[in-house]
Amino acid sequence: MKRFIFLSTIIYTLLLLGLVSLNGGLIATAIPFALYLLYGFYNAPESPQIRIERKLSSDRAAPGTDVIVTLTVHNDGGSIEELSIEDKLSSNLTLRLGSTRHLFRLPKGSSHALTYTVAGPRGAYNFESVQIEARDGLGLIHHAKTIPTAGQLFVFPDVRRLKSVVIRPRKTRVYAGQIPARAGGSGTDFFGVRDYQPGDSPRAINWHASARHADSLYANEFQQERVADVGIVLDARERANLFHEGHSIFEHSITAAAALSDALIAQGNRVGLLVYGSYLNWTLPAYGKFQRERILHSLARATVGHSSVFEGLEHLSSRMFPPESQIILVSSLTNDDLDIVVQFRARGYQVLVVSPDPIKYEIELLPSAKHVEIASRVVRLERNLLIRKLERAGVQVIEWDVSKPFDQAVGPVLMRPHSQGFVHWRVS
Amino acid sequence: MTIIALILSIILSTGSLFYGFHEQSLDAVSRWVLILGIAWLVSQWFKWNWFSSLALFASIVFAAIGLWTGVFFGWMAAGAVFALFAWDMSDFRQRLRFIPHDDDARGMERRHIARLSLLTLLGLVLLSAASLLQFKFTFEWGVFLVIVTLIGLTQLVDWFKKQ
Repeated sequence: MKRFIFLSTIIYTLLLLGLVSLNGGLIATAIPFALYLLYGFYNAPESPQIRIERKLSSDRAAPGTDVIVTLTVHNDGGSIEELSIEDKLSSNLTLRLGSTRHLFRLPKGSSHALTYTVAGPRGAYNFESVQIEARDGLGLIHHAKTIPTAGQLFVFPDVRRLKSVVIRPRKTRVYAGQIPARAGGSGTDFFGVRDYQPGDSPRAINWHASARHADSLYANEFQQERVADVGIVLDARERANLFHEGHSIFEHSITAAAALSDALIAQGNRVGLLVYGSYLNWTLPAYGKFQRERILHSLARATVGHSSVFEGLEHLSSRMFPPESQIILVSSLTNDDLDIVVQFRARGYQVLVVSPDPIKYEIELLPSAKHVEIASRVVRLERNLLIRKLERAGVQVIEWDVSKPFDQAVGPVLMRPHSQGFVHWRVS
Repeated sequence: MTIIALILSIILSTGSLFYGFHEQSLDAVSRWVLILGIAWLVSQWFKWNWFSSLALFASIVFAAIGLWTGVFFGWMAAGAVFALFAWDMSDFRQRLRFIPHDDDARGMERRHIARLSLLTLLGLVLLSAASLLQFKFTFEWGVFLVIVTLIGLTQLVDWFKKQ
């Protein structure tokens, strides 16, 4: 019940009792209450005219990094004796310092700045509005309002630096890069020998071959190195990521996707990201730092989702990716993913699967028992079989034991040049 | 500062009521007043803020009983006024929870207590004046009060409907 209603009830009860019993004392007792109520009404605040500006010390941060939020409250209306404000925080953000609720006096035309510090895990956090309540000095009358004060904080995933990622797609783009283009030209790796052409550098002459043929000169040809199209597919399906008691391996997949996209963009490639979860979130392929930023934003927003439509990978259309490009699937893999991945391979894509090991991850969450051990062995056999089938189809699979950092465990493997297909690395 | 003012006002309120009933040898009622005072203090310790409204209502009921049974007006009125003070302080204390250290908590406390003390003082002065002047309860005065009460009650019903 509102306070002034409670007080009014008391006053009228006393008046009624006094009138009924003709007792002046009862009526007189109502005087201080009426005085209190009148004072409250007299000083009641008018509808507050408040402006609030929000500033974040940084709109992008690393997980667990402190971000200072400053709210500056301006009073464009009359004096407010008690102004309480409350900023709603996302449940995932942790308040490190200060408070999101404040109570203060705000005279006419003045401003008041409030600060608090938050930190949080990876995610995109929206600050939408601030709740304010203006009260008279006795707290009898109040006006509540919601003031929109937009702000956005992106907590990007931890990006592990990889020295390089060696990929061999069938098709490359025209720009120079680091990926062998299966074509002769200028480069560093020996590609073949051809007739010496006028204009070729004398350094390119292959003297051994030329010595065997008296009438002509031969020149060495090197493999052209170009950039390529890379599509990273991040599996965000609930069934592939959620395990015992809601534990999720998804954060590890995010780490892998962030590290891979960072390294591939740094190499000059055109990289796109598809988050495959409750819906398809597609970051179109592009080059450079802006694309790195776009992918990090997309990864910050990515969440595990369930959708009956996207339960399998069959909606992962090959039309989303340029023909014969490189596809990197970051997924813990489920048994029915085999056909789709093999189909990609059959259509000429070079497919690399980086698979955080879900069995090792989950077994550490379970109590050690005989039946758990047997079950894990059975599941391991099934998984090995799945990986074997993928390898036979020419898909490169890298299994990652997530208890080790991605850059240390998988980085050296990604740096090694590997032959096309039939490669399975279990990194542990 | 607030907590001291709150405890003092509870003691003054229940103390006034207790003394008034005790003076009239209404020991059964004075025991209940004492129980109310202790319960009110304990409720503040446990931060049962809802109890203050109950305690204010109970104090008014005790004051009304006292006035009905002829207990000295001054003690009963003081009991009711300090109960109002304590009720307000209890609510203010609850609002103060949201004031972080960097806000002007001391200033707000000081201003609030000063404002409330002034109102209490004014209330007590008016009560004393009323008891000293002893207005004669005429028929016209009674009709006026009935009209005021009816208007007020209509307003109250209107508020409740809006709620």
